[in-house]
Amino acid sequence: MKNIHLLTWLLLAFALLPSALRAQQAPITGVVTDATSQEALIGVTVLIKGNTSVNAQTGLDGRYSIQAPADAVLTFNYVGYAQQEIPVAGKTAINVALASTTKLNEVVVVGYGTQKKRDLTGAVARVEGSEIVNQPVQTPTQALQGKLAGVQIISDGTPNSQPTVRIRGTGTLLAGANPLYVVDGVQTTDIRNLSNADIASIDVLKDASAAAIYGVRGANGVIIVTTKKGAVGKPVLSYSGTYGFKEAAHLVQMANADEYKSYITDTAPGTTFPSYPGFGAATTNWYKEILKRGTFQNHNLAVSGATDNVRYYFSGNLLQDDGIVTQNKFQRLTVRSNTSFSLSDKVTISSQASFSHANTQGVNLGAAYPDAYRAAPIIPAKQGPLYGNTAAYGNVGNPVLDIDKNNNRSVENRLQGNVGIDVRPVEWLTLRSAINVDLNFNNTTDYNYQFNNDNTTFIIAGGNQRNPTSSLGVMQTNSYRYLWENTATFHKVFNEKHDLTILAGTTTEEGQYTPLYGYRRGVPADPNQWYLNTGDPNTSVVNPYDPNNPNPDMLPSKDRRFSVLGRVNYAYNSRYLLTANLRYDASSKFAASRREGVFPSLGLGWVISDEDFLKDVKGLSFLKLRTSYGRLANDQIPVNSYVTTADINIPYLFNGQPVLGAVISQLKDGNVHWETTREYDAAVEFGFLDNHLTGEVTYYNKLTSDALIPINIPGILGDPDNQLITNAANITNKGVEAALNWRSTIADGFTYNFGVNATFNQNRITNLNGGQALFAGNNLQTKSDNGQAAGSFFLLDAIGVYQSAADIAGSPTSTFGTGPNGAPQPGDLKYADTNGDGKIDLNDRRYFGSYQPPVYFGINGGINIHNFDFSLVFSGNLNNKVYNAKKQARFAGTDNVEASFANSRWTAANPSNTNPRALTSSLPNSTYFLESGSYLRLNNVIIGYTFPVSSIEKAHLATLRLFLSGQNIFTATKYTGFTPELSGGPLNSGIEATTYPTSRTLTVGLTANFK
Amino acid sequence: MKPTLYTVVRRAGTAALALSLAVASGCKQFLDVAPQGQLSTAAIQTDPAAAQKLVDGVYNVLYLGGFSADINGLQYIILTDIASDDADKGSTPTDYLDAATIDNFTATSTNSNVNNCWNGYFQGVARANQALDKIPLSPADASIKNRQLGEVRFLRGYFYFNLVRLFGPVPLITTVPAASDANNPALQTRASVADVYAAVIADLQFAADNLPVKGGTDTGRASKQAAQAMLAKVYLYQKNYQKAYDLTSAVITSNAYSLYPTYADIWRTVGNNNSESVFEVQTGINASCNNEAVQLYVVAQGPRAGGKYGWSDLGFGFNTPSASLASTYEAGDVRRAGTIIFINPTAPAGQKSTGTVLWDGFRVPSQDSVQGARYSYKAYHSRTKEPNCGNNDYLPKNIRIMRYAEVLLMHAEAAFQLGKTSEATADLTLVRTRAGLAATTPSLATIWHERRVELAMEHDRFFDLVRQESVQPGTIVPALALHGKTFVKGKNEIFPIPQPQIDLSGGVLTQNPGY
Repeated sequence: MKNIHLLTWLLLAFALLPSALRAQQAPITGVVTDATSQEALIGVTVLIKGNTSVNAQTGLDGRYSIQAPADAVLTFNYVGYAQQEIPVAGKTAINVALASTTKLNEVVVVGYGTQKKRDLTGAVARVEGSEIVNQPVQTPTQALQGKLAGVQIISDGTPNSQPTVRIRGTGTLLAGANPLYVVDGVQTTDIRNLSNADIASIDVLKDASAAAIYGVRGANGVIIVTTKKGAVGKPVLSYSGTYGFKEAAHLVQMANADEYKSYITDTAPGTTFPSYPGFGAATTNWYKEILKRGTFQNHNLAVSGATDNVRYYFSGNLLQDDGIVTQNKFQRLTVRSNTSFSLSDKVTISSQASFSHANTQGVNLGAAYPDAYRAAPIIPAKQGPLYGNTAAYGNVGNPVLDIDKNNNRSVENRLQGNVGIDVRPVEWLTLRSAINVDLNFNNTTDYNYQFNNDNTTFIIAGGNQRNPTSSLGVMQTNSYRYLWENTATFHKVFNEKHDLTILAGTTTEEGQYTPLYGYRRGVPADPNQWYLNTGDPNTSVVNPYDPNNPNPDMLPSKDRRFSVLGRVNYAYNSRYLLTANLRYDASSKFAASRREGVFPSLGLGWVISDEDFLKDVKGLSFLKLRTSYGRLANDQIPVNSYVTTADINIPYLFNGQPVLGAVISQLKDGNVHWETTREYDAAVEFGFLDNHLTGEVTYYNKLTSDALIPINIPGILGDPDNQLITNAANITNKGVEAALNWRSTIADGFTYNFGVNATFNQNRITNLNGGQALFAGNNLQTKSDNGQAAGSFFLLDAIGVYQSAADIAGSPTSTFGTGPNGAPQPGDLKYADTNGDGKIDLNDRRYFGSYQPPVYFGINGGINIHNFDFSLVFSGNLNNKVYNAKKQARFAGTDNVEASFANSRWTAANPSNTNPRALTSSLPNSTYFLESGSYLRLNNVIIGYTFPVSSIEKAHLATLRLFLSGQNIFTATKYTGFTPELSGGPLNSGIEATTYPTSRTLTVGLTANFK
Repeated sequence: MKPTLYTVVRRAGTAALALSLAVASGCKQFLDVAPQGQLSTAAIQTDPAAAQKLVDGVYNVLYLGGFSADINGLQYIILTDIASDDADKGSTPTDYLDAATIDNFTATSTNSNVNNCWNGYFQGVARANQALDKIPLSPADASIKNRQLGEVRFLRGYFYFNLVRLFGPVPLITTVPAASDANNPALQTRASVADVYAAVIADLQFAADNLPVKGGTDTGRASKQAAQAMLAKVYLYQKNYQKAYDLTSAVITSNAYSLYPTYADIWRTVGNNNSESVFEVQTGINASCNNEAVQLYVVAQGPRAGGKYGWSDLGFGFNTPSASLASTYEAGDVRRAGTIIFINPTAPAGQKSTGTVLWDGFRVPSQDSVQGARYSYKAYHSRTKEPNCGNNDYLPKNIRIMRYAEVLLMHAEAAFQLGKTSEATADLTLVRTRAGLAATTPSLATIWHERRVELAMEHDRFFDLVRQESVQPGTIVPALALHGKTFVKGKNEIFPIPQPQIDLSGGVLTQNPGY
């Protein structure tokens, strides 16, 4: 294969280079960019004033070349942009930044090119880098929250966590549901390595017309991140930074010592409580013990600029996010180098690359967080070096000890970038070849300290919280992915009216993932000895891959793709628009007979406001209709899903010695292939009152067919789980997304803007086609079945509380009570006999909605008064459901409860009809734990002051701005848990069990550009 | 010269053509990516070790146990010991009521124990079929491949022998079905008992013909004698006494086996692969401390705390030896104390309770702190004197599937049926002498009694009762009635086909009579 690559390269080079080298005369060259986004403008007409016979157009990289006399004046014309005239005055290089006359004319990045927003036939939403850089968040995706219609972002508070992104609903059950990210051409699923300050813009491709160019990777939508390039001019040194703190945004109030004792005495009369000298009747607030106020800071330094032949942007970024749990810490260093060199007016070489190094000090939150919820408040957390012994009291482990006796550290190194060559043999043709690479090297060590349940650890000895031998697990993974892209773009305007762009190309991709794991016991406590060689060799575990409970992270993998892509954009008079895509994909993830596919799409647009009959309508500035239809697919399916493989290292003994065998046990469907999505999209875009009011309303309808789903198979086939995964289920997402923006100037130096966006989405599994409904959730609270949304809550309906023996006698029989054999007692929850068979059992479970919001929305506003600026972003969900699972888990009679439950529980004296009596065990899944997920959150507030230029000139500053930025300021919600914003997979979202507490961040920030 | 549109298009065309040619020739190969870090069919064809790994992987299925798919674990024990007159369900009266319905013959087709055994044995069959499917691809010598085929066919024969005894007619699957055939009704159709037995005999005969004798192969692998002994047992069930006699005689005259002198030690680590072991499940401990023993085998049968509790007990307390078993031993039979842990009665008030001190010094308290009165000694594994990696779910207890003592008793029965009484007497005397008993006169009754006490709590009794009934009708109902159970003839000889499996077959799989 390598030879074929080389051959192709050589042929390409021979075919193309001669034209590049044959440019003899030195014409006037330059780059035309958008003044705000600095994005290259394609198709700008460059004319010599007074001589329209000589003209040129800018290519894909915004570059033009024109033969003009030294005394000529060049005019730059581009629809929707202010015309510029620039005298040549003997120069050979003229770079121009054109100012857009309306936001509708901004240029957006689409796959393998850019387009003016007004010429789009697909759904593309854009956020400028300047809109995200001031938010104190680690990932750019988090900063998108509430800003784009059709894009739902769910973030949790864990430092370095990847927010969940759903574009136009969830279109899969078992395959990956996350969108594709494209960072300067690098295709990835994770952009946590990026510094927000390096981002020029983020464009989200939402529909089939826009995303079809990404074929099998496009079905979940595509997020294109473009990083900054140097702007024309001398070097600019700029600094931006924020410094502040994070704290828990909302905590649940647990019962205090008195409330707790009274509660426990109710369930177990005569309980004697342990007494700790010096503690008395005090209350331990366990959340306070494990939470802290953490530092958040982010500093970015960049140098950028451009000369005639070189554009450059270099930056360094340091980010620290300590989270809000004790010991938690995250630090990341990112450096970036974006450069482009014009070798001649026909050949440009460019590179965008970043290296990031991240250190995470993790927290044993899986144990500590549920323990903090359940730990008895009557036990001190710690006295001196000794811990309160919650376990000896028959309670959970001491949460502080959970954290202190575990040390989890990870280091991630990532190199991401590309090198490309652009050749423009003639003005209307651009040829590009680029190699994109993404390398990841991660190392995680997980150390558990040895400690005993005696007086060296605890104030009072005993209990089962101990770890007799220390242990160390080390996981190293490395992965690489390269993507070689070759494209040719033809662009020409015929007769000034027919604007035609044709793109054709191929991409070749390979990725590999290699994990290495080691584990030993008896490793010394000194961190300098946390290496596998120091542990007991007889306790080695090389690969804990367990075929009965496979962890995909432990399996190496390799995959390849080959694709051919093509696109035609045609605009007649900028009024009638057409986009047609065709992509061919072949993927190594599937059997030879199932690995190829073709994905077409067609989009049409009509700018009605340009028609004569609407030209004079007062107040109407812009009106466009567009519609598209296309096919996409999702191949986020584990490699080898189709191929029968043997599980290895299956032990047995012969001659008393261990022997490792192999087993072929899982039956696999050799025909497994990607999930296909067909999407229809229709929209109206408009601008009124000189485009002060702009907006768009879009209807979409996505059908995913052949989604992966297990079907049951008979036991005689010997498959251990009696299931076979196959492509069978159908899922639809349909809805409307709307965005409305108003921007205006009240007086000189006083502008304001206001925007709202809302998405109405309906998700349905329309047909499992013989597949099995899927139960999921930490206690199997959800069921994804025919006619329901994916991840719908499937629960008993809690309709009240049994008040008396007579009440029980008059109700259907139930085995969900707390008496002997599950007989109900007064004070127990009463469930509805929904099937009316006279008994309450699991057959009475029904569906009660899902976490997927029928409506989600964002509101944003901003005001600029002279040097002050002020902006707000709200986001929220309406009418979805969340499940308060932490409240349900009650494993020991000594577990603590929430103060509200302790005080309002059913007692004979307080005959509540909503809360049951004091509990000693877990309750079944029911609507008692289901709450409204609706919320409105003030996501971000920024107040800034920009110093007048006159006041800072002496300090060699071009600009200086000081600002305060706050993230997650307040949330209006009826939900009683920590947060209604809960990330999860398609099947188990919206369950609050061990969620990291959400945090509020308050920072001060500074941006400065030096002269 | 300014390039014309034509020259550019021509050059671009050349490039595109070159590219597409390169792609067309290289693409197919480029996209064929073999699974990484996993054994695939392709590797089996080039690596002689790969086929051997698949053979060894079939043995590993013998570890299936616990509360799900099962071959030698608690689920199988419920259907063989607890269903018989040798044992009661045990544990607490309300625990695991599925097992209680098997115990008293009220189980229905939704019983989980039958489904777990169905799944376990068919997993074994599927592993064997996969190995048999791939071994012929191996580049190894034909003689090696025949030995490998022999080992796997021995195991498949054993699995189907148990399946046909548990369920009667069952689907006979001897190849690897395609995934697309998963729900093919033809696959679900039950083969007749005769056809299943014919397949079992074919498998075991192939094994007997191709396997090396004991000593000629690794300890733990199926040997020629293991296959002969298992085939003899199958012929005993077929009442083909001549074949059973010939095969057991061959095992005896191979002079490879002798009775182990200390009966109780057979089930301890010191007795692993002892002189009378014909085939046993090999277990051990490994660093990850799992999957190298039958899951929960020991702990499921370990003595369970009750009453006053107050001690760290040894298990869940299932499969407790019955009063009828305890009373069936002759006086002086050492096998009684080797088979049963007797919990001592609570000491009268004021006296110190002695409890029961086990062979390794572990003291089980007396009756007031223990749930049951008797527990299986053959399933006891010392936590202090025997290997243990700290995971009680996988205590390494070898399961003795075929012992020389059973070979002798099968030989005795076949010889007796063929009128060779003196040979039967000699066999019985060997077995009884080791048990500390005097010789006895052979009869079906004495041979069967000897089988019961010799093989008690070894998961054979229920099958044996059903077999004896077919030889001498009228024995099983009174035997189980004595134990307080109502056995319905024509129904309870086999267990119900699991309802989930009938549902999965779309109703093609039929139910056994009476269920």
